[in-house]
Formats: sequence, structure tokens, C-alpha cells
Amino acid sequence: MAEETILADDLLRQLMSVGEVDLLVGISAHGSANRADRAFYVIEQCFQQYFTRQRAVIVNVCGGRSGESGACEPELIDQTEKSADFSNLPSLRTIHKVTADFSVPPSQGMALRTILTAADLLRARACAIISPATANLTPGWIANLLAPAYREKFDFVAPLYTRHKFQGLLARTLLYPLGRAVFGCGIRELYSDEWGFSGRLAATCLNQDVWHEDPIQSRPEAWMAISAMSPEFRCCQAFLGQKIQLAAGSGPDIVEVFRQTVGNLFWCIESRQASWLDRDTTEFVQTFGLDHDLTSEPSDLNRHRLFEMFRSGVTELEPILGSILAPETHAEINSIVSLEEGRFRFKSDLWVRTLYDFAASYHHAVINRDHLVQALVPLYRGMTYSFLMEHSDSSAAEMEAVNESLCVEFERLKPYLREKWKAKVEVKS
Amino acid sequence: MRQTILQGLEQAYSNLVHMIADFLPRFLVMLIIIVVGLLVAFLLKYILRAVLGLTKLDRVSEEAGASRILRMASLPSMTVLLSRSFFWLTWLAFIIIGLSVLGVAGLQEQLSRLFQFLPEVFVSILILFLGLMTANFLSRTALLAAVNAGYPSPRILSWSIRFVIWILAISMTLEELGVARQTVISAFSIIFGAVMLGLAISFGLGGQDLARKALERYLGNSQKEKDKEPQPL
Repeated sequence: MAEETILADDLLRQLMSVGEVDLLVGISAHGSANRADRAFYVIEQCFQQYFTRQRAVIVNVCGGRSGESGACEPELIDQTEKSADFSNLPSLRTIHKVTADFSVPPSQGMALRTILTAADLLRARACAIISPATANLTPGWIANLLAPAYREKFDFVAPLYTRHKFQGLLARTLLYPLGRAVFGCGIRELYSDEWGFSGRLAATCLNQDVWHEDPIQSRPEAWMAISAMSPEFRCCQAFLGQKIQLAAGSGPDIVEVFRQTVGNLFWCIESRQASWLDRDTTEFVQTFGLDHDLTSEPSDLNRHRLFEMFRSGVTELEPILGSILAPETHAEINSIVSLEEGRFRFKSDLWVRTLYDFAASYHHAVINRDHLVQALVPLYRGMTYSFLMEHSDSSAAEMEAVNESLCVEFERLKPYLREKWKAKVEVKS
Repeated sequence: MRQTILQGLEQAYSNLVHMIADFLPRFLVMLIIIVVGLLVAFLLKYILRAVLGLTKLDRVSEEAGASRILRMASLPSMTVLLSRSFFWLTWLAFIIIGLSVLGVAGLQEQLSRLFQFLPEVFVSILILFLGLMTANFLSRTALLAAVNAGYPSPRILSWSIRFVIWILAISMTLEELGVARQTVISAFSIIFGAVMLGLAISFGLGGQDLARKALERYLGNSQKEKDKEPQPL
């Protein structure tokens, strides 16, 4: 029991009374703890329907005193949902419920660490993390995340969702292709609220000395996925369907999203450079269910504003971009800024070189790293605008082909990243 | 008469010999102290440079924007600058100690006054340097935040922040040095007050419509604008 110190006595007592388990589902109730009861209910239904014979435990990680936001408050489950949706077949095993109640809401990193510690202590074979913020969570979703790890011996199970063709562009134009090219493993959803993993991967991740790092504290899921992208582990994807997020205010703004995802991915690239610098191949990732699913309902997007924010951003941040980008890349971006809105295109090779310059500059720390990540936002807006203009009438199949060609471009230009990465940063004296 | 002159000359010669006999050893001690100081300063300079190299101070300085300021002022990198400064400070201390060995009247007092003033000079340099670094960092933070939020004239905002922090840092530096203390405090108060009052009047009276629109946009429409961007994740 390597990490006994992070578990409170009460939690430890609860876990010890559970004994060993086959399956563990962790509820990371970050910011939506008052929905935990519904999640408990759905997980129970999952165990009763799909894993009747397995020993199972649910670990709910929450924080804050009752009555405050984020507290572990019970919630009445809609009785109609209870009676209509699920059959009430009893499980052959007791389904244990354990609650890790922190005095203040724990960070996502702390919540994951607690769940991994519990999984390690209970010797769970397959685990899943789910978020109560997902409004349409079903027993089938959880089973899809657990089954590959439990029955097919996969170590990491990433989710796949149905998306609108213009939704998740950050994931499709940046996070997925960059992660796939750098780490050689094509997991589409590196940043998600649900995922599955094996007990073996949990133990490995738990023993890594990274838990104090800020990127791990805020968004640990991509790091866990990237940890599984090694020869000793097997990754797969499971299609879950359309995800409906509970309305939780306005949600984080684009800069915060960039900090949590792009900044986090750059940190992973930096901290795991030994594993990818000499790697050139990309491995096939097995997918259970659909590989992708895009819908194309009409959307009301403010394209003009996107372009204006790109143009003003590049103009105003000219000195900052000059210190991050290679001179040729910077010159090309400056040249497309002057194009008319209708003729503007952000070519894929320029986008790839831009990102690789940013990744290398992050590595060399040419400016404050948080500032560097923020400086990428206007360029992403330009890329998004270009993408929306080019593919306003494209079908789902065409969009997928475009995404694939972007991934290939990232892989083709990987030597460029390697060259920039290894280049010595110039510090004048 | 002749005897008296000869005695006087003899006395003067004897005094001179005594003085030289008294001064020469002290002069030699002074030279030894200065030479030893030079060697010690060199040694400390290289040790400090190696230690700073290990701590990657240049990278931190580059990140914080301090290196850019140094380059603008045609100064070397942070590591080189600090190690050179340390060399000169160490050697200067040895030179002063050496000079004090000479026992020249009045020199002791001047040296002690110089020693008393040195800490204030260091603190002033430190205040100025930290001020410039903070100004650079905060102005860049403001620029990025304003650009990404789509506010108009982000550079003016950024330069305003830089300017205010520069004034604050320069005022604190001059006050620490004791240069026209009252004048500096008054000047700073007047400039800072004038800037703030100017902003308040221009925004409160001259820009009532602008303020209303800005607040409306911030409180009401910003969400609509944000929603019209495609969901990133």
C-alpha cells in the first residue's frame, strides 16, 4: 500500500471493509457533486445489468460541507426514471459504496489520485471514472468503458462521442492530431470526463512522482492516457454516443480551456520527451463501436468576429509571436493577416508548423509558459475561421477525411518539431 | 645658525625616514590586501557564475522578460551581470579595507560613509530591477487578456500598466537613494493622482456612453458573443 498517507482514516476504514474487488467506478464530482446520487444509481444499474457476478465498488470523491456548493448532498432521483428505465435485477454480489469526503472540493488531480489509491488498495482489475455532470449517463456507457479493460485486457479506454461537425474543433484540429503525431497513438478524446483503465495502469500511474504538478492537479486525464501509450500497455476507444452536459453556467472561457488542455498537452510533451523524441511510427488504436460520428445541423456561429479577433490578435501580439514563432512561420502568418475575409485560408502545413514552434518554444521557455499558451488563442481563432469557411457545406465523411489529412500532415512534419526541439535557444549576452 | 639649520634638516630627514618606514609596510599591506582581494573576487565570480548556471537563472530571467530589458540596455545576460557585479563589489570592499590600512586622516570617515551608502545603492538597484520585471510581466499579462477578450486598444491598456509600474519603481528607487525625497514623493503623488483622476473623469464624464456600452456588453452580450464561437472541446 504505497499511498496510504493520502487516504483519510475514515476512507481507509471503508475500503478495508470492502475487501478485494473486480470493478471500481470512481465518481469525480468536481463542481457537480449534487448530481452524485443519480450517478450512483446509474452505476448500480450498470453492475446489475452487465457485471452481475463481479465484485464491485463505487468510490465517490467530493468535498465541502453540506449546504455549500460542491458538497456531497443526496439528491432525489426521479422515480419515473427509476421505474421506467432500468430493470431491477438484483446483483449477485453486494455493490459497495465508498465516499471520500474532503473538507473542500478536491482538485481533479487529487480526486483521481484518491480513486487510483483505492483501486490499488482493493486490487481492482478494471476501473472507470465518470462525471455526474454528464446529463445522459447510462449503464451502457459505463459498461462500454469497463468491459474492454475487464474482458479484453486493455489498459486505457478512451471515450468517443457523437459530435456536431463544428463542435470540438480544438480537439480535432489541435489536441488529437498533435497528440497522435507526437506520441504515436491516435486517441481522439484526450480530454474527457469519462474514461476506463486497468488496475495495472492505475498502480503504475500512482507510483509516478507527478501529483504535485499543476497540470496534473487541473486535468490529469490526458497524462494518464499518454502514460498508457507505451509498449507495455494497450489502449483502445469505446463509442458512447451523444454527450449532453448539464448546464453549469457559461462554462470556462476559451483561454481557460487552452490553459487546461493545450498547456497541459505541452507539459506532457515536455515531461515525456524521452518516450517520443525517437519515435516515428503511429500505432493503430482498436475502437469498440463507431470510430467517429459527426452530425451537421445548422449552427449560428459568429464567423466575422472570429476573423476580427484573429486579425487584431496577431497585430497586437506581434512582438510576442515574434519571440515564439520561427521567422518564416511568423512572416507567413503576417502575410495571411492582410488577406480579405473571403479569401482568408489558414493552410494546414502552416498550422502544423505554428503548433510545433509553440511546442518547441514552450520547451525552451522563451517567455512565460502561461503567456505562451494564451498567445496561441488568436491563431486558433484564425484556424477555426478558416475551417468553418472551408467546410461549411462538407459532409461528415469529408470532414473526417480532412481531419485524417491534417493528422498525416502533423506526422509528416514531425522532424521539424524534433529539429526545433533540439535546437539551442539563443540567449544573447 | 648653521647648526640650527642642520639640526632642522636632520630632524626633517629623520621624520621623513620614520614616515617612510612607517608608511611603506602599511602600503605593502594595502597592496597585498588588494591583490588578495582581486584573486578572491575572481574566484567568487567564477563560483557564482557556475552556481547561477546550475540554477538556470538565465532561463528564468528570459521567461520573466528581464533578459529583454537587459538587452535593450545593452547589458549582458543575468548570470554574467550578477557575477560581474559581485566581482566588482568584492574587490571594491577589499580595496576599501586596504585603503583604511594606510591610516590617512579623513579617509576613514569618508570610507565609512561610503560603506553606509552601499546597501542603499544595492536595494535601489534591486527595487528598480524588480519593478522593471514586474512591469514587463504584468503589461504582457494585460495585453494577452485584453486581446483574447476582444477589448479595444489592448496596447494602450498594456502600456498604461507598464508606465504606472515604472513610475512607482523609479520613485521608490529615488526615495531609497534619498535623492530629493520630498520632491519625488510629491511628484509621484501628483502624477499618479493626475493619471487616476484623468481616467476617472474621462471615463465617468466624457465616456458615459462608452462605459454604459462596455458594461452592457460585459454583463449581457458577452455570453452571446462567446456562445457564437464553436465549442472547443
